[in-house]
Amino acid sequence: MDRHQGGETIAITIKTLPKEELFTSGHTACGGCGSPIVVRAAMKILGENTVTYFPACCLLVFGGTYPHNAFKVPYLHVLFENSAVCAAGIKHALNKQGKEDVNVVAFAGDGGTGDIGFQALSGAAERNEDILYICYDNEAYMNTGIQRSGSTPFGAWTTTTPAGTKIGGKELFKKDLPKIMMAHNVPYVATASVGHPADMIRKIEKAKNMKGFRYLQIFAPCPTGWRMDTSKTVEVAKKAVNSGMWTLFEMEDGVVTLNVKPKMEPVDDYLKMQGRFRHLTDEQIKIIQGWAYKKNEMDLKFVEAFSEDKKE
Amino acid sequence: MYEVRFHGRGGQGAVMAAQALASAAFQEGNYAVAFPYFGAERRGAPVMAFTRVDKDKIFSKTLIYEPDYIVVLDDKLCGLVDVSDGLKDSGMAIINSAEKPEDIKLGKAVKCATVDATTVALETLGQPITNSAILGAFAKATGLVSIDSVVEGIMDIFGNRIGERLATKNANAAKAAYEVTQVGTCQGGFECEKADKWLPGYDELPLGLATRPMETPEGLVGPGSFVDNKTGSWKTFAPIYDPDKCIMCRMCWFYCPDGAIKEVGEGDAKTLEFHHEYCKGCGICANECPKDAIKMER
Ligand SMILES: Cc1ncc(C[n+]2csc(CCOP(=O)(O)OP(=O)(O)O)c2C)c(N)n1
Ligand code: SF4
Ligand code: SF4
Ligand code: SF4
Ligand SMILES: [Mg+2]
Repeated sequence: MDRHQGGETIAITIKTLPKEELFTSGHTACGGCGSPIVVRAAMKILGENTVTYFPACCLLVFGGTYPHNAFKVPYLHVLFENSAVCAAGIKHALNKQGKEDVNVVAFAGDGGTGDIGFQALSGAAERNEDILYICYDNEAYMNTGIQRSGSTPFGAWTTTTPAGTKIGGKELFKKDLPKIMMAHNVPYVATASVGHPADMIRKIEKAKNMKGFRYLQIFAPCPTGWRMDTSKTVEVAKKAVNSGMWTLFEMEDGVVTLNVKPKMEPVDDYLKMQGRFRHLTDEQIKIIQGWAYKKNEMDLKFVEAFSEDKKE
Repeated sequence: MYEVRFHGRGGQGAVMAAQALASAAFQEGNYAVAFPYFGAERRGAPVMAFTRVDKDKIFSKTLIYEPDYIVVLDDKLCGLVDVSDGLKDSGMAIINSAEKPEDIKLGKAVKCATVDATTVALETLGQPITNSAILGAFAKATGLVSIDSVVEGIMDIFGNRIGERLATKNANAAKAAYEVTQVGTCQGGFECEKADKWLPGYDELPLGLATRPMETPEGLVGPGSFVDNKTGSWKTFAPIYDPDKCIMCRMCWFYCPDGAIKEVGEGDAKTLEFHHEYCKGCGICANECPKDAIKMER
């Protein structure tokens, strides 16, 4: 099956990204927020012929507070827990109207994607609904004031995983949502990061030009919830990749490719930049380092098992 | 009973200031409550918090509409929000400002105290967070709580949240601000721009509640209308751009979360324009520029 519409070539780069803003200035995200970086770029790539859907999340609120809105394209919200099926419904309705060329994209937070919105997401993926789903991962429920999500990493302080004398932040590990989505055998699953713009642009454009269910999870630091300097959003995202705390890979038609080989720099540097990890003991840092090594080892095996030459 | 309304920006810690004041008043044997105003706004956007203090138990749970005191953590708010709205004539305004009380313009002429809390905070904390320093000014200007109780209040509330070491620094900020607070009277009669609210009737709402871009008494509404929302006043630091060092790599333009950097001109004449009316001063552009062509300055 040819999932690429009209064989469009992938060509957008930072240099050729359109100047026009379909997600305008004046939105009310905190200064230095990572998610508007994702959305501004995504909207430039997706273009005007796009309908957007949002669950409850920071982006829903800072992107539009009725009657004001930063999006110049249709912008819909129904509930927190059903983004993927709402987007799929929009796609079906447009198809019925003969508007088959419209991009339908759901933008959602990590909580809305991996926890509360997961059954709808999994169902839509299994049915191979023709939508693009972009999860911006800021590793907690930020909109409601920094509660832990399944995507919050081990050791991180949040208001529901406090750091005190008895507990030192979250005691469980980050859910590997990208691999769970890969297990759905959909046409395209990829991770990206605001710290690696060329890779992120390429993946959004590729996903745009495919048909069927496409899932992107983009690492988008939240200086407010991560308790860090607003100027370090991009720097910390780069460090996450370099230390193996976040992996950049993609699965296209069952073939997995590692896009950036992690340098496996010690996790200390990454952790030290963020107030949410300030309380960590050496013991906890060791646990996180161990997690990063193990994750890297598993990722490499996974990439190897689903490489091009393993495909019959 | 006295009632205090704090005006700040998300992230400036107005709520912690309100709580620390309540704790300070409590140390002196009063009853006190502190609570925030819940809004949808983010770090940098105008927010409010409240403190009520009385000799007796407090049963009132409402927001404070007619405060005895207003405390303003950022004087740029005075032009955006009617901070003196409802302030009693006998009341007082305590404002973070480098200006003298006589140069402050509010809706009404009232007793006024000013302190350059931002400078105090930068000197004592290394960060422009003014919620502790302003409490020193409150103690000095009103005499309602002693500076020692304010210090205790800060150690209690800040200590719980950010640890004893940082709380001590904040207590020092309050003490430093106490020493440099000026008291006088401000000017009245200032009207800040207040846009009318657009409240459409059912017949004016397009089908399905979606809005089209349209001009209303409130200004532009609908898709893309956030361009009317000038977020530039949120910043403490502003990017200063040196075109001679710039190689037009577009990285800052790409990364700016607020789309505040625009590319203008063609060919060799290409350059960048910084739109300070939107820039929130996050500093990402300066941090990421490979040629050090952007510096953040206050
Ligand atoms: C059913 C339901 N439960 C809870 C909420 C409250 N709520 C709104 S946004 C939000 C957090 C969203 O977190 P995430 O999806 O990670 O997005 P973020 O805010 O971090 O960008 C919550 C809990 C809701 N709106 N609906
Ligand atoms: S809380 Fe975090 S994710 Fe939400 S707008 Fe602020 S910086 Fe962005
Ligand atoms: S990042 Fe620096 S060099 Fe690149 S365009 Fe911006 S100012 Fe110029
Ligand atoms: S400081 Fe932040 S908001 Fe201002 S221009 Fe630079 S990146 Fe944009
Ligand atoms: Mg989140």
